[in-house]
Amino acid sequence: MYRYKWAFALALVPSVALAGPVTFIERAPADPAAISVAVDQGQLQGTLPQADLTDLIEAGRSLFATRFTGADGAGRPRATQAIIPTHFKHAREMSFQRASGPDANSCTSCHLDPMAGGAGDFTTNVFTSEGTESADFDNVDPQFSNERGTNHLFGSGLIELLAREMTVDLQDLRTEAVRQARETSAPVTMTLESKGINFGTLTAAPDGQLDMAGVSGVDIDLKVRPFSQKGVFPSLRMFTLNALNAHHGMEADERFGAAMTGEADFDGDGFVGEFSPGLVSALVAYQASLQAPLQTPFENPAWQSAAMEGEMAFTATGCATCHVPSLPLRSLSFADPGPLDTAGTLSASDVAAPAIYDLGLLEWAQKLPRNADGDVLVPLFGDLKRHVIADNKNPHFANELMGQSFVARDAFMTSELWGVADTAPFGHRGDLMTLDEVILAHGGDAVQSRDAYAALPQTERDNLITFLKTLRMPQ
Amino acid sequence: MNRLALMLSLALAAFSVPALADERADALGLLAVPQFVEQAASAGITQSYTGGWEFFVGGGGSSFDCNGDGMSDVALAGGTSAAALYVNTSKVGGELAFEPADLGLEERLARNVLGIYALDIDADEHDDLVLLRLGENIVLRGLGECRFERAERAWHIDGGTSWSTAFAANWEPGKRFPTLAFGNYVDRTAPGAPWGTCADNFLMRPRGDGDTPDYSDISTLSPGHCSLSMLFTDWNRSGERGLRITNDRQYYRGGEEQLWRVETGRAPRLYRRGDGWEHLTIWGMGIAEADLNSDGLPEYALTSMGDTKLQSLDNPADPSVPQYTDTAFERGATAQQPYMGPDKLPSTGWHAEFADFNNDGREDLFIAKGNVEGMQDFASFDPDNLLLQGVDGKFVESGDMAGIGQETSGRGAIVDDFNRDGLLDLLVINRKANVSLFRNMGRQTEWGHRPLGNWVEISLEDQDGNTHGVGARLLVKTGTVSMNRTVHVGGGHASGQSGAVHVGLGLLDRGIVRVQWPDGSWSHDYRFLANQHIIIRRDAKDVIYRQFIE
Repeated sequence: MYRYKWAFALALVPSVALAGPVTFIERAPADPAAISVAVDQGQLQGTLPQADLTDLIEAGRSLFATRFTGADGAGRPRATQAIIPTHFKHAREMSFQRASGPDANSCTSCHLDPMAGGAGDFTTNVFTSEGTESADFDNVDPQFSNERGTNHLFGSGLIELLAREMTVDLQDLRTEAVRQARETSAPVTMTLESKGINFGTLTAAPDGQLDMAGVSGVDIDLKVRPFSQKGVFPSLRMFTLNALNAHHGMEADERFGAAMTGEADFDGDGFVGEFSPGLVSALVAYQASLQAPLQTPFENPAWQSAAMEGEMAFTATGCATCHVPSLPLRSLSFADPGPLDTAGTLSASDVAAPAIYDLGLLEWAQKLPRNADGDVLVPLFGDLKRHVIADNKNPHFANELMGQSFVARDAFMTSELWGVADTAPFGHRGDLMTLDEVILAHGGDAVQSRDAYAALPQTERDNLITFLKTLRMPQ
Repeated sequence: MNRLALMLSLALAAFSVPALADERADALGLLAVPQFVEQAASAGITQSYTGGWEFFVGGGGSSFDCNGDGMSDVALAGGTSAAALYVNTSKVGGELAFEPADLGLEERLARNVLGIYALDIDADEHDDLVLLRLGENIVLRGLGECRFERAERAWHIDGGTSWSTAFAANWEPGKRFPTLAFGNYVDRTAPGAPWGTCADNFLMRPRGDGDTPDYSDISTLSPGHCSLSMLFTDWNRSGERGLRITNDRQYYRGGEEQLWRVETGRAPRLYRRGDGWEHLTIWGMGIAEADLNSDGLPEYALTSMGDTKLQSLDNPADPSVPQYTDTAFERGATAQQPYMGPDKLPSTGWHAEFADFNNDGREDLFIAKGNVEGMQDFASFDPDNLLLQGVDGKFVESGDMAGIGQETSGRGAIVDDFNRDGLLDLLVINRKANVSLFRNMGRQTEWGHRPLGNWVEISLEDQDGNTHGVGARLLVKTGTVSMNRTVHVGGGHASGQSGAVHVGLGLLDRGIVRVQWPDGSWSHDYRFLANQHIIIRRDAKDVIYRQFIE
């Protein structure tokens, strides 16, 4: 902790201590620090009672809107935006830098449309890069970074839960393939399918060697990574740590602390311990609790009729092949830390027992439709799978010059369409103003559906757009 | 050392202990200390290195995969006890477990083994075993399914009658079979033995282009200075591997450390004063190699009685001169006396090996320790060292915290991931006691253990002989850091490891690896995901992933 300033702040401000893991802090107006919660990670174990979950979510909501200051530890003069702790060769002077960051005062500065946790306009675009070579770029040239629009975070808890279950399914299939190969002393080819989504095939040899050439849409380790436009981050927690550092210079202890980096103040801003695991958990709980966007019928009967026609066209053109209307989710128990993270992000293996945020306690989750097996039907209109989305005739989505995490430039994860009616503009760069434009920009694996849409009479195209306009953000 | 000097040094050590303890504690607070749990007995290994004077030295073993299941089995020397083979039956990610198997040797020949190295000599994709013995050395040809047959006759290997204590192997350019170097200790039959009567060492180069090795071409590496470890090493980035030999000053007269120039088609020649080689006399027990600063030039740890040397090339800008600076003191790697217990006399170091035990991306240094036998001027309680490398390149002792500080007299050691969980385990061969088999549990917490950093385990498959790519260099890129690893057969103390190369990755979850194959050619960049076992087959487009299941 930055001892002098914390002592001064604490002397000015009374704090309200509660019995649970969350403490809310009331700060005096002149207090330069902005973080107004403290969370005891040690108390976050097992299924949280509703009161504690509510407090934790509220703490996360507060943090999400906090305008971090230098007194909180914002800024990273000696650290780049890289996920792996990386030093600049020379300390940076500027607090904010539009291209390579830090580029935001708070999470809500971008995630605000139509409310906190939402998406952002083109003005809120960010520039992602590996952050090692040429980390300190000061322009938007695509040779340095990939420009990305700001997505909404609603329903992201369900997304992560789906990804975890799909990962288990796929990895179990891999294990079964190896087991069968060993038992039969012959190679075994296994189709990789989970929740109706096909990820290709793998072939296992009796000695455990894997031929993964047939795998598609998922990383070779069969971990479904549902976050970011390219689907390269496995968890809200990891994404949160990345964003805290890149956008705000708030370096979480679990990645940038002394135990991981050998340095107590990795970013050289004079702060030690600037973002505890408990605060990260609060942000994760908040994001995971954000309500799933639902289809909202039009009150206008004509529009609703058109939307229903459009929904049929959505399936008939093949859009629903990737933008799958719903995926079944077996459990609403959200473990945090989760099972899929590795060193640098707290994982379930790093704690005695993870906390469980029972999303089933949330009113909106209780209203989600279920199938005959009792699975929650998550209406994401996506498949958590990566696809090649551009080709020579339809090159718009292949605009980037840099791959990301080994994913090719023309491959992206299927965008979830829930909430699309309220989160223009569209595309990974947020540079397409209408739904019609973004549909027509599809290529690659989607070219047949795109062409089918383009071939529709105008009325039917309008119906399909009208249907998409029912996919509203929570009001 | 006279009594007054001894008392003064003890007094100084006693005075300085509290300050060192605080600094060490502070330094360890910034490192992830791996926790080891000893489980040789429960794992089913009962093997002790026994014997008299001839077996004060040696005591090695090797890990390798003798049945093709991808798990590392072990062959262990026994001295006057029979050498033993143990097949690995550990559950993936679980407790370590081994079952004894038959080496296929009559008991007379299974005894008097000082060290064992595994390598695929005849390019049939089965590891063979070289048994260093007091008397005739034995080479066992691997047949698969953990079966072996003697190969000396078929391969024209003269096992000799020497007291063999060291071994190294290297594939010279264009050769399908390796060049074998045997290091010998005292010539017991020479007048005046043992003092000043070190035996010569030998180089066996494969002859012809036949389908089976022919080692009838033997060169003598003379003078020998009672070698205890040898290593083929590309010490100057020339692409040519010289032969480094560490020698025991206990018995030589006029001896020193040695570096041989071994050029293809030419007789081996010693580097001498005129070449820049400097005189260094130590009780050389083991050599470990690592490129600690990723400049392509290896550093060497040399164990001895007293302090360990950590040699770095004097002038990296001109790597033609084999002059070295000892950096052990400034790096905190001297390990000159026990770090725990009441004994403050100088240590005796044996096996040394660089490996990343906590997966933070920095290679650490393990040293097996133990009194030679009744040497009163040296520490009796002399626990093995685990020196963890910090961000600043300095090493910090963690053996006590890590749980490897046992009351044993260590000799050789095998560092390998026995249960394929990505954490390096440790098997130490002990004199007159069962081996210590340490399972790496990760970082200890109040509730159990938590994971360390990310990792990758890389197996190489070359073509046309040298099936495991011995001599290859791996260059792994993680963010702004590059790490070099070299595959070799030799070094340590009578001990080796054949199989996958373990690389700790710190926080990296995916990376790039390039391979410089033994013939000097570089591969393209291979992408890999962390926490996986991968195979790089020469000229293959992508890495191959391997899944281990229970």
